[in-house]
This record gives sequence, C-alpha cells and structure tokens, in this order.
Amino acid sequence: MQPELERELIRKCKAGDARFYEPLVRAYEPSGLRLAAGMLGNLEDARDALQDAFVKAFDALHRFDLRRPFGPWFFQILRNHCRDMLRSRQARFKVETLDENLELRPADSEKGPERVRQRAAARDLLWSALERVGDEHREILVLKELQGFRYNEIAQILDIPEGTVASRLFHARRALKDALEEMGAEFP
Amino acid sequence: MRDRISHDDLMRFLDGELAPREHARVEAAIAESSELAREVAIFKAMKGGFQDLSFQPVDYHRSVWDTVNVRLTRPIGWLLIIAGVAVWTGYGAYVFAVAPVDAWQKLAAGAIVIGTIILLASVIWERYREWLTDPYRDIQR
Repeated sequence: MQPELERELIRKCKAGDARFYEPLVRAYEPSGLRLAAGMLGNLEDARDALQDAFVKAFDALHRFDLRRPFGPWFFQILRNHCRDMLRSRQARFKVETLDENLELRPADSEKGPERVRQRAAARDLLWSALERVGDEHREILVLKELQGFRYNEIAQILDIPEGTVASRLFHARRALKDALEEMGAEFP
Repeated sequence: MRDRISHDDLMRFLDGELAPREHARVEAAIAESSELAREVAIFKAMKGGFQDLSFQPVDYHRSVWDTVNVRLTRPIGWLLIIAGVAVWTGYGAYVFAVAPVDAWQKLAAGAIVIGTIILLASVIWERYREWLTDPYRDIQR
C-alpha cells in the first residue's frame, strides 16, 4: 500500500470512521496471519490473535505517529498480543493443525512425488524444531525467515536496538540447528 | 581468519545486511576457512527450508475484517441504545411522577415496573450463574 494512501486512511480512522480501516486490515492480514501462526503454531489461535490485535490497534490509533509506517507498529501490537496469549496459556505453540493450512511452493513439481515427499518431511521437521526452540527464539526466526523483515524493522517490532538483532538471530539459528540435529536432521 | 568474523557479521552476511565492502570481506574469510564455510552452509540450508514454506492465501470470505468491523461498531450501537433508553426512561418517570392521577394509580403502575425489573434481573443473574459453572462453555459449536 502506498504510504500516502496509508496515512490518509489512518487519518480518517483517527477521526473515528471505522470504514476506512478495512483496506488496512485487508492489506496487513496475510502477513499478520503468517506472523501469528508462526508464533502460535496454529491458525485458529492466530486468527483470534489477529482480530484482537486489529481491534487493539484501532483503539490505539490516537497514539499512532503518522510519520511512521503502520506495518511495524501493528506487528509490534500483534507480537505482544501473541506473547501475552502464550504466557497466559490461552494458546500453546502446537503444530498439529498447521499442516493443512501450509503448502509447499510448487517450485519443482517436475522432480516427482519423491521430492515432494522429502520436502513435506523437511517442512514437518522444521515446524517441530521451531516448537522446541522456545518463544523468544521462534519469534525472531518467524520475523526474519517467514516474514522477511529487515533488521531495522525487526528491531522496531521487538523494541530492541538494531545491533541486537543479529546477535539474537545467531542464537536463535544455533538453537534451531541444535533442535534439528537432535531430531535427526543431517547437515552438509 | 575465523576470529575476525563475528557471529553478528555472519548473520548480516547471510541476511544481506552488510555494505558491499564488508560483504566482500566476509566472503573472502569464508573462502579461506572450511569451518566458517560449513557454518554458513548449515545456516543457508535452514534458510532454504523456511523459503520452501508458504501459507495458503487468505480466503477473502474468511477475512477477519467482518469480525473486526463488528467488534469496532458494536460498542457504538450499545452505547446509543443505552443512552436512548436512559433518556426515555428518565423522561417517562418524570412525566409519570408529575401526572395528575391518583396516588393508588401511581403505586400500582410503579409496582408493575419494579416487579418486571426484579424478574428480569433475577433471570439474568440465574443465567449468569449457570454460565459460570457450565463445564462446556469453552467448547466451540
């Protein structure tokens, strides 16, 4: 979404007109759902978290600085809400229901069913490893690897200095590697 | 050579966050160290694993917007209804109190209104108590 259009929509929402919130919700819904699902491990909880976060964000729009982009600010609200859910045990990272909503990118269908099966097994292993690494490591991995955010955006969302992002990513990746190895994954 | 490349540099290299000169420096270090090269290969393999994943696109009809919209607009609706009812009730009570009718008529009408309120409140309270002890209340239908 164009920054100018986004600012205009937020200005209208700040004036109390919720109709102008719809384009923002629709624009940030896919990436928000990915983030929440990555943190919570299942789509039902992720959908609940996303709804709550959009409502919270709307209620807090009067505090929003129009010079900043909406995305990182909203994702910060969503991430905090997911953490609260995990902490209060309303939700638990569980991968059982995630599979049916995940799909493999159809990049190499010509390589046959064996390759597809291998990739499906690798995907399952990855999600199980993510379940093991803990909330803190998982959230930064999701932000970087599933969402593809830059370090400055991750710093903003996690509310940490930009210099800390690389170090937290290193520890998270190390933890993920250890978890994968414990589960029998082999690396080159 | 390994010592000159910090973990942070390695992460920035992997994620394309280094300036070109720094990127070339890390690349050269990797070329010279098999230990570093192996570490980078492992991290790249894990990154590749993530890139193989994608979510199905959000179904337009299952968008969270409808629920969000209801949650944003419903409080306004309730507020307006409550305000309207409060104003009309107050006005009605005032008109009734100053109306030129006998005292027994006022008492009888008042008894009906108060009795209805008591019955309604007791039903609401009973339902609330049942809900609190309902073992199936968290089960989604």
